[in-house]
Amino acid sequence: MLTDTRYQRRKRLALLAILGAAIAWIAFDALLGGSAEWARVISRLPLLLTGSGPAWSIQGGFAFNVLMGMLSMAIATLLGLLMGIALLARNAWLRRGAFMIMNFLRNSPWIVLLFAMLYLLPHRVELFGTTLSFSPFFKAVVGLSLPTAANFAEIIRGAVGSVHSGQWESARSLGYGTAQIYRQVILPQALRRMIPGWMNLYALLMIATALATVTGVQEVVTLLRTTLAMESETALVYFYLTVLLMFFLYCYPIALLARRLENRTKGDAI
Amino acid sequence: MTARNQSLIELDGIRKSFGGNEVLKGISLNVAKGEAVCIIGPSGSGKSTILRCINGLIPIDEGFVRVGKHRVHEIRHERGMRPLRRQVAMVFQQYNLFPHRTALENVMMAPVQVLKHDPGEVRERAIALMAKVRLAGKESSYPGELSGGQQQRVAIARALAMQPEIILFDEVTAALDPETVKDVLTTIRELVEEGMTCLLVTHEMRFAREVADRVCFTDHGLIVESAPPAALFDTPQDPRTREFLSQVL
Repeated sequence: MLTDTRYQRRKRLALLAILGAAIAWIAFDALLGGSAEWARVISRLPLLLTGSGPAWSIQGGFAFNVLMGMLSMAIATLLGLLMGIALLARNAWLRRGAFMIMNFLRNSPWIVLLFAMLYLLPHRVELFGTTLSFSPFFKAVVGLSLPTAANFAEIIRGAVGSVHSGQWESARSLGYGTAQIYRQVILPQALRRMIPGWMNLYALLMIATALATVTGVQEVVTLLRTTLAMESETALVYFYLTVLLMFFLYCYPIALLARRLENRTKGDAI
Repeated sequence: MTARNQSLIELDGIRKSFGGNEVLKGISLNVAKGEAVCIIGPSGSGKSTILRCINGLIPIDEGFVRVGKHRVHEIRHERGMRPLRRQVAMVFQQYNLFPHRTALENVMMAPVQVLKHDPGEVRERAIALMAKVRLAGKESSYPGELSGGQQQRVAIARALAMQPEIILFDEVTAALDPETVKDVLTTIRELVEEGMTCLLVTHEMRFAREVADRVCFTDHGLIVESAPPAALFDTPQDPRTREFLSQVL
């Protein structure tokens, strides 16, 4: 217990030192002329965030990353749930099929999946006389949600498997059927254990939305590579730093919260 | 000994292997209604497996298992086991309470959700059972907030709430602190005195001697000796029984 508090104190000190060094570097750099570059970045911040210059309407930028992340996560949660159920199915063929798909998607580089979507999905389809066009945004969302769904399915399988086998035994000996055991006994316990993994997955997905630049969607990295490409080389360093910071500020709190929840659920494994 | 066709539980020549390891090598045992039978023996002799064959948690490879009118070895599907499980309750070494539900909810869940009894009536019954196992006032505690002995008594109340004819006890005091063992044993003793049919796997020799109508000694997947406790403990017939008793007593 004592060493634990000492460890915590040292950890806090180290974090403060890193933060202090960063602030000192920024101040030092600003004195050497960096402030002009920062001013440049700030004047273009609306563009980075929303993809439109002065008018605050969302046409791309970091807001697109957030939007893509949320949409992909919603789809991945639904798909992953179905895949997770298939992984736990009693039917061996269903289980094996789901297992193969899950492993294939989990072990594919995300960027390859995104490229694949780019070429696999047509630009538009004629359906009953109406033309549906698949935008780069749509393709990016599909490409990102597939590996995320596979990872979520594995999280579900892991969480269900982590519930002690004694829970199954005692529920069965009380006369519960399989579906009832899942609903009343296993899922309420597994759900708590799934949430931290699900949140971590979202943070990972959010970071991966930067890869969607390969589909041509107007997200923040695409903006850096196109609209802002004519900025001076020095200024670009500051732009990239700013984007890194955006992702960090968005994702780190999620990771922190996930870790906290995880620590809380650790205790209730019986 | 009880006549074969009158007994409530009837095991005949059951065999069970896990992988290449034969755990049960032909177990035969009859238990009459209201009888308390203790199974003792060294670890790994198949004691817990016998209990799990009775309520169908483990399918047997060979032999005959009957509980009341249910021929357990003939039931092929999990669904078919359910009427049997309503008749036979089980209490486990690791309690296996549902950690996400309070003590009272643990007791009430199965009667409401499985037997579809009226929740109000089940609630009254559950509160009475909590008092019976001397846990009045702990109804809204979660399993994690209770001691091992208290959790095990909740597990007994949960078993009783199903109004079973038989309760199987699987080394229910083996995971407990010594000071909480007594409370659990007292609760079981009361059940035996009330005439509940009990089959107990136990390491508590004194307790077995005190409450059992009959004690069975198992070794290497066989029942080596079966006798009233006084006879088995004082004048064991088989050398293996003698050796085991000399080690544990």
